[in-house]
Amino acid sequence: MSSLESISAKLGSTEPWVEKGGVHWLALDAAKVRELAKAMNEIHARFITITAYQLPKDEGFRLEYHWDLNGQLLGFSFPLAGKSIESIFDLTEAADWIEREIHEEYGLDFTGREYEPLLLRQGETMGVNLREEKI
Amino acid sequence: MSYKIPMGPYHPALEEPYKLDMICEGETVLDAKLHVGFNFRGIEHLAETRNHIQVIALMERVCGICSFIHTLTLCRAMEGLTGLTAPPRAQYIRVIMAELERLHSHVLWAGIAAKLMGFKTMFMTCFEIREKIMDILAAISGNRVNYSMNRIGGVNRDITDPASILKMVEALEGEMAKTVIPIFTTSRTARSRCAGIGVLTKEQAIACAVVGPVARASGLPQDLRKDAPYAAYPEMEFDVPVQPDGDVRARLLVRALEIMESCKILRQALAKLPPGEFHTEGEKFAFITGTSTARVEAPRGEVMYSVSWKEGSRNPARVHVRTPTFAVMPAIRWMVKGARLADTPLIQASIDPCYSCTDR
Repeated sequence: MSSLESISAKLGSTEPWVEKGGVHWLALDAAKVRELAKAMNEIHARFITITAYQLPKDEGFRLEYHWDLNGQLLGFSFPLAGKSIESIFDLTEAADWIEREIHEEYGLDFTGREYEPLLLRQGETMGVNLREEKI
Repeated sequence: MSYKIPMGPYHPALEEPYKLDMICEGETVLDAKLHVGFNFRGIEHLAETRNHIQVIALMERVCGICSFIHTLTLCRAMEGLTGLTAPPRAQYIRVIMAELERLHSHVLWAGIAAKLMGFKTMFMTCFEIREKIMDILAAISGNRVNYSMNRIGGVNRDITDPASILKMVEALEGEMAKTVIPIFTTSRTARSRCAGIGVLTKEQAIACAVVGPVARASGLPQDLRKDAPYAAYPEMEFDVPVQPDGDVRARLLVRALEIMESCKILRQALAKLPPGEFHTEGEKFAFITGTSTARVEAPRGEVMYSVSWKEGSRNPARVHVRTPTFAVMPAIRWMVKGARLADTPLIQASIDPCYSCTDR
C-alpha cells in the first residue's frame, strides 16, 4: 500500500487522490480535520499552512490544509458551510499562528481554542479583514 | 519572585518591529510570549488588486533580502496556471540568482551575529563581503535589492558573460574560505558565545514544523532543493549540512557550511549554463481557473505560494504566502526558555528572522 493510500485508509476515505499542480489532493469532510491532523502526526508529515478562500456569493469558505511528506506536497480541501471548524492547534502546535491569522483576517472560528491578537487591530475591527462583508 | 521584561517593539538586535514579553526569575527566562503585526501591510489583499505583471513587482517587496525567491515562487505558481515553462537557460539563471541571494542573506546574518557576539571586526568583514555579492547581483540584474528578474515563463535578463561572473564568485569564495568560515567554525569566541544556548531539540523542531537552517541545525535534513527539486537543482551536486545540537552554534555552522555549498552550486551552474532563450518569446498565454501552489527553498527555509485565478480575470482571486519566518518564529519561545536574559538577543537573531516577511 502506498503512503497516500495508507492515509486514505487511516481516514476511512474512499475518495481518490488527485494530483494537480504538484499537489496531491484529497477531498475530506470538515468534520475529519482532527482525524487528519492525527494521521499526519502518525506518519511524521510536516505541517505547512492553511489557506482560506472566500467563495463567491453565499457559498461560504474553503480551507486548504497543506502538509509535506518527504518532499511530497499533500493538500486537503475542506468546504465550510458555516464559519467554524475544529482547531488542530492542540494536535499540531505549528498551526497556532495560521489559525490565529485566519481568525483575524476572515472572522472564521477554530473551535476549542483561545486566541490572542496576532495582527493589527483597530478598535473593534479584527485584523486585516480579507472578508468581503464587514466582520 | 518572577518579573516581566518587555523586549521591543523595537528589536534590540535587528532594529525591526517585534516584541517579546519575557517572564524572568533573576537572570533566567522562564517563559516568553511573542507579538508581531506592528507593521502588517496586507500584501495578500493588495495582490488581489494587481494584474499578472503588477503582482510580481508587489510580491518582490514582501522581503528586502529574498526578493528574488518571492518572485520565483510566485512565477512558478503562475506558470502552473498558464502552462508556460521557463526554458533551460532561465532555469539555470534562476538557480544562480537564488544562490547569490542565499550567500547575500547568510553573510548579512553572519555579520549581525558577529556584532551581537561582540565581534565587531567580523561584522565589518562580513558587510564588506556582502557588498561584493551585491555587486555581482547588480552586474547580472542592474539592481542591488529588488532585481526584477523573474517573469512568467523565464527571466527578464540574461547572463551574457558567465565567465566574468564565475571569476567574481571564485574570488568571493576564496575570501570567505579564508575569513568567515574558519572564524565561525573554529574560533573560541564564536564557540564560547554560541555553544549550548538557545537550544531547540529535534522533537521541538518537529512539533513547531520549523524550516530551513533552523530545522537543519536541529538535526532535520530537510531542504526543498533536494526533497522536491525545482528549476535546475536536479542537475546540481551539493550537500545539505545538518547539525544535531540545535543550539545557536549549530545554526551558525549550518549557515557557514551552506555558504560553501552555495559557491559549489554557483560554480556548476555558471559553468554549465545552457545556450538558448531565457524566456518564452512572444508566446501568448491565458490563465485557467484554479489554484496553483509552488514551493522554493529560500535562505531562511521554505516559501510557499498558493495562487488562485479565475479564467478571464485580470487579477488573481487569492494569493497566499507562507514565509519561512512565519513558521520558525513561534519556536523562539522554546529557545529562550531557561536561557540567560543577556543571551536572548543573540538567540532571537539566530533564527535570522525577517519581520518584513512576517508582517507581509
